[in-house]
Amino acid sequence: MGLTVPETSSIPVFDRQFFSGKERFTAIGRGELGGKAQGLARMLRLIDGSLAESFRPDIEVCVPTLTVITTEYFDLFMKQNNLYEVALSELRDEVIALTFQKADLPPQLVGDLRALISQVRTPLAVRSSSLLEDAMFEPFASVYATKMIPNNQADADSRFRKLVEAVKFIYASTFFKDAKNYIRATRHVTTDEKMAVIIQEVVGLRRGPRFYPDISGVARSHNFYPLGNAKPKEGVIDLALGLGKTIVDDGIAWSYSPAHPQANPPYNTLDDLLSRTQAEFWAISMEAPAVYNPIKETEYLKKFSLADAERDGVLRFLASTYRAQNDKIVYGISEAGPRVLDFAPILKFDLLPLNKLLRRLLTICEESLNRMVEIEFAMTLDERLGRPARFGFLQVRPMVVSESEIELRPCDLKGDDVLTASESALGNGFHEDVLDIIYVKPDKFNVHHSEAVALEIERLNRSLQELGRPYLLIGFGRWGTSDPQAGIPVNFGQISGAKVIVEVALPETSTMLSQGSHFFHNITSFRVFYFSLTPFDPYRVDWEWLARQPADRETEFVRHVRLISPLKIIVDGTTSRGVIRHG
Amino acid sequence: MHHDDELNPFVSAQSQFDRAAEGLGLDLSTRELLRFPLKECQFLIPLRRDDGTAKIFRGFRVLHNDARGPGKGGIRFHPQETIDTIRALAMRMTWKCALIDIPLGGSSGGIACDPHYLSSSEQERLCRGWVRQLARILGPKTDVPAPEIMTGSQHMLWMLDEYETIRGERVPDFITGKPVGMGGSLGRVEAAGFGLVFTLREALKELQMAADGTTASIQGFGNLGQHAALLFEQLGGRVVCVSCWDQRDGVSYAYRMESGINAKALIDITDPFGSINKDKAEKMGYEVLPGEAWLTQDVDILIPAALENQITKNNAEGIRPRVRLIAEGASGPTTSAADEIIRKRNILVIPDILANAGGVTCSYFEQVQGQMNYYWGKDEVLGKLDVQLTSAFHDVLELSKTKSIPMREAAFAIAVARVAQACKDRGWA
Repeated sequence: MGLTVPETSSIPVFDRQFFSGKERFTAIGRGELGGKAQGLARMLRLIDGSLAESFRPDIEVCVPTLTVITTEYFDLFMKQNNLYEVALSELRDEVIALTFQKADLPPQLVGDLRALISQVRTPLAVRSSSLLEDAMFEPFASVYATKMIPNNQADADSRFRKLVEAVKFIYASTFFKDAKNYIRATRHVTTDEKMAVIIQEVVGLRRGPRFYPDISGVARSHNFYPLGNAKPKEGVIDLALGLGKTIVDDGIAWSYSPAHPQANPPYNTLDDLLSRTQAEFWAISMEAPAVYNPIKETEYLKKFSLADAERDGVLRFLASTYRAQNDKIVYGISEAGPRVLDFAPILKFDLLPLNKLLRRLLTICEESLNRMVEIEFAMTLDERLGRPARFGFLQVRPMVVSESEIELRPCDLKGDDVLTASESALGNGFHEDVLDIIYVKPDKFNVHHSEAVALEIERLNRSLQELGRPYLLIGFGRWGTSDPQAGIPVNFGQISGAKVIVEVALPETSTMLSQGSHFFHNITSFRVFYFSLTPFDPYRVDWEWLARQPADRETEFVRHVRLISPLKIIVDGTTSRGVIRHG
Repeated sequence: MHHDDELNPFVSAQSQFDRAAEGLGLDLSTRELLRFPLKECQFLIPLRRDDGTAKIFRGFRVLHNDARGPGKGGIRFHPQETIDTIRALAMRMTWKCALIDIPLGGSSGGIACDPHYLSSSEQERLCRGWVRQLARILGPKTDVPAPEIMTGSQHMLWMLDEYETIRGERVPDFITGKPVGMGGSLGRVEAAGFGLVFTLREALKELQMAADGTTASIQGFGNLGQHAALLFEQLGGRVVCVSCWDQRDGVSYAYRMESGINAKALIDITDPFGSINKDKAEKMGYEVLPGEAWLTQDVDILIPAALENQITKNNAEGIRPRVRLIAEGASGPTTSAADEIIRKRNILVIPDILANAGGVTCSYFEQVQGQMNYYWGKDEVLGKLDVQLTSAFHDVLELSKTKSIPMREAAFAIAVARVAQACKDRGWA
């Protein structure tokens, strides 16, 4: 490792001054910082130094002001309120969350929170930073909750209540079902886990009833789907308008290679491009929520349309326009017409050295962690105020990439014993220990039932995981999508025992996963092989062979078969070719 | 000051005021007004005992000053209660409310009795008798009682019930310290002890001492002492000795455990009046010493949390050189002469009107909640309490540093100035 892990004791103590204090990164309590906060602490000095200086005055680079409630208070909270029994039970997430809401935070913590909230009236992100999640050698992403609060109520009492509710919600999320599934997948136990909580300013600006950054993004130093001239080691960057939730949860983004920022992502037609680029964005709603619900992660989050963003004046540097008359994309938004969020003014005309900054950051982070990395960031552009753009560095995580040397030629993808193959497989290496297959029955599948399918798979996943049996999972549409019409809306915890996943594309959806999504991150981090089959590919799943295998269990939409001899699964990361053979 | 005067709590309180008045250059009429209570009530309460006999008790209520808001002060049940202890408590309450900057004046009251020898129904009749004598002058807009030594939430509820019966209406903000669910505030039980530790935590920062690993000795294991011990433990500190009165033996004992007491376990063997069960404590491995041994422990922090005049010129020299901090949980635990000795030893003192202000601050929160008939969560109560006390601590510390005066003088200077100004603004002086 390039740097030692920062100790909590090296982080200044929160002195009840959030924005006005000398320090922008502080800690409350003597416990651990948790992985996410530790990653930020590592980067703080590197970013504050020469890097920030070299991008002034165009871009102000910073780690947004934050304080971390260390794990000491999590321990006290759990102990003083006797919460472990409920937390480790099989009760529904809502019941656990409500029980946590009724519990009291440790008395020595509430004064600091009260003091913080008395001075701060801008939105805050209350984020998890657990010992396992995002820790430097653990692959968790988005397992636990993040709650954004507008924090704009006139009286301090209301703001304080919302902050306290958010902290308790983050604590409760340590014990939600998905989190427990994840922890099982990593061979940890839930009682190993401890939660620190980051309270951080949200990078963004208020525009009318909403608060959001102009750009949020995820940059990765390794590209699993290098297309065109791009190479895996050049990395890949996903950009979106508004909060990063669009990228990490919805999987929608403008993806490009930092070595070729001017190249558009591959698409067949302009129609295809238009349908795949971002049409809505997430922002913090600065108005009272429609329904008071402290145990809802998105209580204050709302989706808005691009037209709202255009009215807010933020598309100028971010969008182009589709000209229907000659079926062309024209740069800028001076003409009327559908907007395309392609970030052209910044990427194609280099209006801001954002791409240069991201490349530098990826290099610095890689050198510091001594491995491939993924970073999350948010940015505001506020030209009207004459201020430089503000770049907030939000997170750094290691990426897990296999280095096995595998070579698959096109001819290796054919043969009678091929269950399926793909030229856009994700991963690298081979498996020879998979005896179980869970597949969605092709004659029964319909997107209207995709949520029911997800629940059936979750049950099978759990029982196979308990038996310690890895399995191959085959289904239709995009896995991990938040849109049930686009595929099967599982989260990673529901399929966490799968070693290999096959996605058979629905005709009307794009096959490409957003590499910035947390689902994607977990797929790659757990070294799950991911096969994509589009209708245009020459490869198919051998459904007949599957149907001939005796069912171990069968539900309405899903079938589980157990083989006598293991599958041979090989993926060549350099060519993205993959093949699955039965014996 | 004459030695006997030094032990008269009211004379002692007056002399503290005189020093502050001198420092502030207050005019004579203001001094005259603030040296004495505005109103005093002494009366007799006849009580029919359970065995049918009658016994007469002395009751008190003193309103020291209400220029900044309605009077606020406890009701103490104690056999050695005198009008002078009550006067001193009322005066300290005036300064305390002003220092914490809550809109209340200072008062105090009590009954000279020993509840150890009264049945529950006798205590109830006594409480009701006390209220009957005072119902016309007490109330949320005039003077609001609260629990003090040897009174608790049950006593407050009896008093409230009697008051409401007399008034013919519900008046939840008549009294504070009520049980939760009956108009009481969450956090009220913990407030006094936690409040002390909030100020202690800030003082340790000032002394550049980490709470982790510091040691303390506490005199008194009532509500304040218990909760102070609990929170101090959570900060990483270690309480090595607590002393308390033993009703059975009629003396006080100090219970020592060098590796640190287990506050929770000790609370479990403590009666409602703050007496630790000696036999059980011995079985748990505590060393039992004479009560005064709490003061001579080799610790970093001393917390007197029992009665007035416990640190005197006769025993102050016995304080060990290691002691860096004294947090006064009791009202007036240090005599003026002892204060002088402590000052020369360079020990930082968090004066009573600051260190034990948590109780009255939370009483104020309870009143506010009662007036709204809307009750806050414990997080909210304790969060506000912490900020209020921490901010008061820093006001005092800043003045103490700027003027190079002890914390006690700084605290009195701030408080007395605020009350004097309110009296002036009202045209009283």
